[in-house]
Amino acid sequence: MTAVWSGRRRLARPPQLWPLVKTRPASTVPVPDNLSIVSTSLTVLAVVCVWLVMQLFVLGGLEQHRAQDRLYGEFREQLAAATAPVGGIIEPGTPVALLSAPGLGWSQVVTEGTSSGLLLDGPGHRRDTVLPGQAGVSIVYGKSGTFGRPLQAMLNGAAGQKLTVTTGQGELSYTIGAVRRAGDALPAAPPSGGSRITMVTAEGEGRLGRLAPDEVVYVDATLDAGAFVAPPGRLNAIGPAETAMASDTSVMPALALSLGVLAAATVGVIVARRRFGAIRAWLVGAPVIVALAWLSVDLTTYLLPNLL
Amino acid sequence: MSAIVRPRELASLVLAGLLVVLMVTTDGGSASAVGPASGGEGAFSKTRTITRVLAATPAPEETSPSPTDPTDDDPTAEPTDDPTDDTPQDVVDSRQFTLTVDHTLNLRGRERVKIDWSGAHPSGARAANPYGENGLNQEYPVVIMQCRGIDDPSLPEAQRLKPETCWTSTRQQRSQSTDAVLGVWRHDLKATKADRELKSGLTDLPKECVDTKSDATHTTPFVAANGKVYAACSADTMPPEAAVGAALPPAEVSAYSDADGKGSVNFEVRSSAENESLGCSDKVPCSIVAVPIMGISCYDDNYDCRREGRFEAGSSNFANEGVVPAVSPLYWWSASNWDNRVSVPLTFGLPPDACAVLDKRPPTAFYGSELMNQASLQWAPAYCLNQQRFKFQHNRMGDDPAFVLVENGQAPAAFVSGAREAESTTERIGYAPTAVTGFAVGFTIDEPGNAGERQQLNLNARLIAKLLTQSYTGSSRGQQHPGMEANPMSLNVDPEFNALNPGLDRIQREAAATVLSLSESSDVISSLTSYLNADPEAKQFIKGARDPWGMVVNPSYKGLKLPVSEFPLRDTFVPTSGLECYQQNPAPYFSQLAAPVNSITKIASALLDAWPNVQTKCDRASASDPFKVGRIDRQGVGTRFMLGIVSLGDADRYGLRTASLQTASSVGPSSPFIDGSGRTFVAPTTSSISAAVKLAKDKGSRSAFQMTQDMLRKQPAAYPGTMIVYTTAKIRGLDKEDAAKVSAFIKIATSEGQVPGSGNGKLPGGFLPIVKTGATAKLWASAQRVATLVAAQKEAAAKPEATKGAPKPAPAAPAAAPVDAPQDDAPAAAAGEGAATATDDIVATSAQSSGAAGALFPVLIALALLAGLGGPATRVVHLWRNR
Repeated sequence: MTAVWSGRRRLARPPQLWPLVKTRPASTVPVPDNLSIVSTSLTVLAVVCVWLVMQLFVLGGLEQHRAQDRLYGEFREQLAAATAPVGGIIEPGTPVALLSAPGLGWSQVVTEGTSSGLLLDGPGHRRDTVLPGQAGVSIVYGKSGTFGRPLQAMLNGAAGQKLTVTTGQGELSYTIGAVRRAGDALPAAPPSGGSRITMVTAEGEGRLGRLAPDEVVYVDATLDAGAFVAPPGRLNAIGPAETAMASDTSVMPALALSLGVLAAATVGVIVARRRFGAIRAWLVGAPVIVALAWLSVDLTTYLLPNLL
Repeated sequence: MSAIVRPRELASLVLAGLLVVLMVTTDGGSASAVGPASGGEGAFSKTRTITRVLAATPAPEETSPSPTDPTDDDPTAEPTDDPTDDTPQDVVDSRQFTLTVDHTLNLRGRERVKIDWSGAHPSGARAANPYGENGLNQEYPVVIMQCRGIDDPSLPEAQRLKPETCWTSTRQQRSQSTDAVLGVWRHDLKATKADRELKSGLTDLPKECVDTKSDATHTTPFVAANGKVYAACSADTMPPEAAVGAALPPAEVSAYSDADGKGSVNFEVRSSAENESLGCSDKVPCSIVAVPIMGISCYDDNYDCRREGRFEAGSSNFANEGVVPAVSPLYWWSASNWDNRVSVPLTFGLPPDACAVLDKRPPTAFYGSELMNQASLQWAPAYCLNQQRFKFQHNRMGDDPAFVLVENGQAPAAFVSGAREAESTTERIGYAPTAVTGFAVGFTIDEPGNAGERQQLNLNARLIAKLLTQSYTGSSRGQQHPGMEANPMSLNVDPEFNALNPGLDRIQREAAATVLSLSESSDVISSLTSYLNADPEAKQFIKGARDPWGMVVNPSYKGLKLPVSEFPLRDTFVPTSGLECYQQNPAPYFSQLAAPVNSITKIASALLDAWPNVQTKCDRASASDPFKVGRIDRQGVGTRFMLGIVSLGDADRYGLRTASLQTASSVGPSSPFIDGSGRTFVAPTTSSISAAVKLAKDKGSRSAFQMTQDMLRKQPAAYPGTMIVYTTAKIRGLDKEDAAKVSAFIKIATSEGQVPGSGNGKLPGGFLPIVKTGATAKLWASAQRVATLVAAQKEAAAKPEATKGAPKPAPAAPAAAPVDAPQDDAPAAAAGEGAATATDDIVATSAQSSGAAGALFPVLIALALLAGLGGPATRVVHLWRNR
């Protein structure tokens, strides 16, 4: 797309129709094409990188908060109508539980499914385990560094706090344990009627640990008795994209499409700029391009490890 | 080669001919089928004299009193001005009425019993639909109803049956109000004085019933099982089950007797689960009451009371014209009609939830095949009511998922009816043959011309393939489908079907373009589709070859690979239509026609109600509401045509008719034919199922018997829908307690559970008993072997797989499914992972990290800095150079 900047004008502008449009003032020193291509490419690369970082840390947070808002409303409605899912095979992306730690002022709606894309909305419940609140071990994946950092709160001083789990079957209070890292003892299987929620997220080490969350860590919340019955009929197996630190390559076609549209939109804006002038073209084109760029970056993050 | 084949062909022809002859001669028994449901289950037969007595007209010759003693009214109690006392009486009609019922014991809800009678007055004015109020405009029918109570004068009043405890679906059938002169019941010879009044029966009518003072009114209230009395004088004062559009269609029938006074009907009984007001159950005895209408006996010379029918015997009454009230079923309750009744005492089996109510122990759930439905319904009480045994529960589920539950240790045992690939598992699983049954194509089809229900139907594999592949177009909307313009609209207009089943109507219907099938995966569908696949005609048809009449497979199904365990809905064609409704609701038309359901039981009840699941009915609440598309109406009796895939157990329980399937043919696949000659059709009977089972080959305890359709085709007498249901359970690594239960179950099921009968723990109809001798001997032996293996749990371990640890013992609670957790994620975490769940050993959390995750941000930020600075820098360098 950068080539178009210096390319030849394709559409002749009618001389009198748009008197406001002025020709670009000739620069004092003519810049050779090669140099122009290199420097512009580098600038675009920088913009893309900065956008990516922005989206992961800032814009993604906005997006995740919005998704949580929506999911909370949806789940609240389902709880009120007693239609919240309690078992069987649940459509990925459906809210299944509300986890909240009142002592931390933290609360998240957990959705079904743990593939990278689903975790953008908030913590996800691994589909081959029982639902939170049900007897057995339930596994919840969540991001700790990007997209609102939903499980970051579990890594700092959450041990000993109460975790309230609200599902279609009722409300239970779990006790959060310490962060379990590689080498720590695995807890024993919960007793009959007991339940455990294992929250799985990632953490980095050292000063820049927050920027490099590469180790999978676990936080167990336990309930000794009184868990709800788990209805049968859960999945027995999940795809590789739903395991820890996996990426979801099924997004490739959608990503290619969105990048293609983004490229087309950019070209369209450039063509329009020559014809209708920069202000008009960008006024119309910028929202489109920003939206497409946002979408493309969202889709790109599907390719990143899901716990990041 | 050909020299060898020819004698064989000859032999098969002779055999086929013999079979056809056999089928013709034994016709009538095809109302379904296997198992001895008819014998020893309380078959009932009774003969009695039924009469019509009229007070003698001027010159009486014979003055014989009524041979049946009027029970309730004593002639001396009659008022002196009553003419009955001294008027001579004349028995104008006396017949020997014989009623037989094939089984009456341990009935379940909606079970149908076959009632035959002879010696009734020939009927006239036959109604197209004899059920409920639609049957009222007939003459001399036999009214058959279900009543609470037993017809035994020695019983206390509350347990005796009377017209007030007989179920009718409408008010019109029990309470009548008419112009005073037409109140023929008031002239009844046997009526009590009170019944001869202008107002009789329940006289204290509630306010909502409007009753004209001058009219003759008789109200027969309905007394519900809980004692509540429904006045039954208007639609609002009927019991709730009699509401308009009630969940179940009327069962009571005004049945037609032919010119010889013979007739038969399949009568559906209702338990308290279906009809709470009637309330028949294992505790509340009920009866079937048959009232042969002879005409009311009259004590005076009232013209209307003494009339004979105006329709000829054997005539039809399509126009629903009025009939002579004195000989109509309207006044079945009138004393002289009621006195002619024959009542058949019934007993009901335990309700399906008996075990849940009567046994508080936790159940041991067996998952799987729906073919076992009727058997487990009867078996369960024999376990839960015996404290020495465990509480058996059968949870219906597809065969595949049920088997997976067993493999994963989440269920102790599963019912499946075929071998499962045991690859990628370290488990050892035993297959114990538990029942021999199968599937059938059930049908509800009426003969044209109001001649009753069709008893026998022949289907070949190609016809079933045509139905399943949605190759009939259903209607002009379906004919828009590209490539199917020349196809017949429905099965009954297909020349192939008509060649095999002559004499049926040719009215095209959407319901006849499809066979109601399963949407779920099931071994029944695998078995059915392998039957199609093994048949050259069906196979070539699906491959795309035209049938001899030019019909072609629906292009969406062309080349479909069979067998499949779940029949796909592939056609997405949306027809255009000028109708507003279809424009508002565009949908794939052929999927609406097929509309498969998720359980075989639902198919059976749809057939019972003749209510196809075709979803093309347009409906809206009012003219301003949008249209919606829904299930079409129940089919009218007389023009019913519906097919469905049912299990033999259900077919027998509900008295569904089942089609004979083609097993052999000497006719080339592409040559046209005009009748079924050269083809062998086999109905599901004890002998045809035995013939199939005889072919099964034992493949060892860890696999199902081998019984492929290719093997069955070699034996033309074998029913192709035969299926063996196995109890599958681990023979290594199963919890000790569960192992003992499963082993006991297999032993009980193959001994006590194979005794035919309707009682608890017995084998219902539709199943072939597995016994020590005969065709099922090898199944029996295999079951005993597997029972021992399951009990021992000593099978040598399979070679453990590289990726898995040692086999895990089953978790204590099967519900608490996946064992422990996070390490499951870790592809690298292998060692000791399985042990962690089994013991209390301290096992460390394994490390898992992602290089990409760690590197991403540093790389991104570095790249952004580099590129962000590099871009301007190149320009600056350039400017500096050119300075």
